[in-house]
Amino acid sequence: MAFKLSQLRKGRRGSQIGLVVGAFAFALAPAVVGANVTTMGILTQTIIYSLVVVSLNLLVGFGGLVSIGHAGFLAIGAYAAGYSANHLHLALPLELLMAGVLAGIVGLVMGLPSGRLSGNYLVIITLGFGLAVPQIALQATDITNGFTGLTIANTQIGPILMNSPKAMYYFCFVVVAISLVLILLVLASKSGRAIMAVRDSEAAAAAMGIHVARTKVILFTFSAFFCGIAGDLFGHFEGLVTAGDFTLSLSLFFLAAVIVGGLGSVGGSILGALVLVYVQTRSASIGVYSEFIIGGAVVVVLLTFPGGIASIPTVVARWLRSTRGTVRVPGEGESNPGDALTAQAGIGVGDHQGASDA
Amino acid sequence: MTLFLQLVVSGLGFGAVYALGAISLTLIFKTSNVVNFASASLSTTVALLMWLALNPLHLPVVLAWLIALACAMVIGVLVEAVFLRRVEKSPIIIQVVMTLGLLVAIEGLDGALFGYSPKTLPHVLHGSSFAIGSVLLDRNNALMLAITVLLAIALYLIYQHTRLGLALRAVASDRDTASLMGIQTQRYISLSWAVGVLVAGVSAILIAPAISLTPTFMENVAVFAFAAAVLGGFGSLLGAVVGGLVIGIMSNLVSGYFSNNLQLTFVFILILIVLYIRPNGLFGRPVVSRQ
Repeated sequence: MAFKLSQLRKGRRGSQIGLVVGAFAFALAPAVVGANVTTMGILTQTIIYSLVVVSLNLLVGFGGLVSIGHAGFLAIGAYAAGYSANHLHLALPLELLMAGVLAGIVGLVMGLPSGRLSGNYLVIITLGFGLAVPQIALQATDITNGFTGLTIANTQIGPILMNSPKAMYYFCFVVVAISLVLILLVLASKSGRAIMAVRDSEAAAAAMGIHVARTKVILFTFSAFFCGIAGDLFGHFEGLVTAGDFTLSLSLFFLAAVIVGGLGSVGGSILGALVLVYVQTRSASIGVYSEFIIGGAVVVVLLTFPGGIASIPTVVARWLRSTRGTVRVPGEGESNPGDALTAQAGIGVGDHQGASDA
Repeated sequence: MTLFLQLVVSGLGFGAVYALGAISLTLIFKTSNVVNFASASLSTTVALLMWLALNPLHLPVVLAWLIALACAMVIGVLVEAVFLRRVEKSPIIIQVVMTLGLLVAIEGLDGALFGYSPKTLPHVLHGSSFAIGSVLLDRNNALMLAITVLLAIALYLIYQHTRLGLALRAVASDRDTASLMGIQTQRYISLSWAVGVLVAGVSAILIAPAISLTPTFMENVAVFAFAAAVLGGFGSLLGAVVGGLVIGIMSNLVSGYFSNNLQLTFVFILILIVLYIRPNGLFGRPVVSRQ
């Protein structure tokens, strides 16, 4: 069974409800699990990573472009936060906007060749970018304070100083929630459909009058913008930012979260971020195996259910239907004639996979 | 002027290693159409196996080399057969992400098995540098250059003048047609993975004495190799060699005249500029594909 990205938009009826439930869960979480420093830290990090992973999923899952340099955009946002908090003293919305725009501009410059390049070259560009950013950060000591790292002052909204973990959490929650709503609105709009059309077939999209290269560049900019905003939050959350925080491994972990959570699924990305933070915080007990677990999870997901956690309901539903051999729901798996055959014959999904691979 | 020449000559040694990395990427890409982003972790594994054979097991150097290289070929074949073959019909991004997942997983496995403390591999040659006029050439750098050039010539001859090479080129240019002509395409893809990881492993073993051997030590080297392959257009062995040497010399000049800590930045900007001007690399030809 060859996996196609165009399958990703099917069978997602519950996704909006899931997101609303998830939003309530995160809003109420401090009251439920208790607002101690450790849990608030884990929750805040999950929320910030959620925005990073969603911004990366915009590229990978919705645009079909892979980046392994998103830690670089995170760094730009974090240093922007530091510069603003320590020197410019911008109002918070302006500061967030600045972080996003700076990252977006860099994303634009890097994305410019993406319209003409095959996916492999873009990965190499983002790889170079992700490794270059920490090097540049170490050189630009005026802004980043070099090896010592940059201490970022507490933020303030009007009279409220963000110095408690709970205040920090809700601040991040609001910013990430607004960003995610914006992202969902864009995805549901004409531009969002154009992005996915380009992913599914560049030739067909071009034939429909979509400017393929421009769509890719805009998508790259858009993704970098939101990653920059997440970087701003990251800077305030960490309080101390060093160039060594933004490694290639971190970028790869974000990509792993996209894959494990589910390509092309916003809710899945939030779950992916949750899994990532969980594994990272457990690394004290899992020890040296955490990197192996994260990489291994990507490989296993790609080999078994490439749609990630978000596709599990669909996969399970299809499996149940095919084992019972009951009437098929129209519109599911119609693109693959083999599916209908196996469903009629009552063969499970696993068998079908083996049969078509042979 | 002496400094300039010295930087060029000493850049050739590292350039040769980058060229080996680029040859490995090119060999695999030509037949299987996958850029092997897991290359860094695979070649690190080979270098670590060499260390295992030399230090805890105290095997003779020649035997250690043979074991490491044999393991490299087995690793190449296994990675292709177990992981990449099962996603070969998936979209390109799934294949890219598969190699990236393998990069993280294998790096993590190396870290868990061998630990993160730096290890050392011995230099192949001992003794002082040669002097050519006022310029010094390190023995091991000269060896790396010689191995790279000989390997490139051998691969070129195999590709262009043997039946094996003809079959490999047929698989590279059109797999379906090649298979209709009676070529066992799968066998040649396995072979190019075996040779590809072998070449990458040689590069890791050669460069390990110059930098400390850790599970992540090839990451930065791999970036230079990717840059070399981009310069070479990802399809030509000659391009890979020239690309590697150019990158080696230029990054050595950057570290000599500016700062040792800006090499990666330089490489990033170079890749970006090259791809702006020539989206298919300096030596590459545009590829027209049907969807």
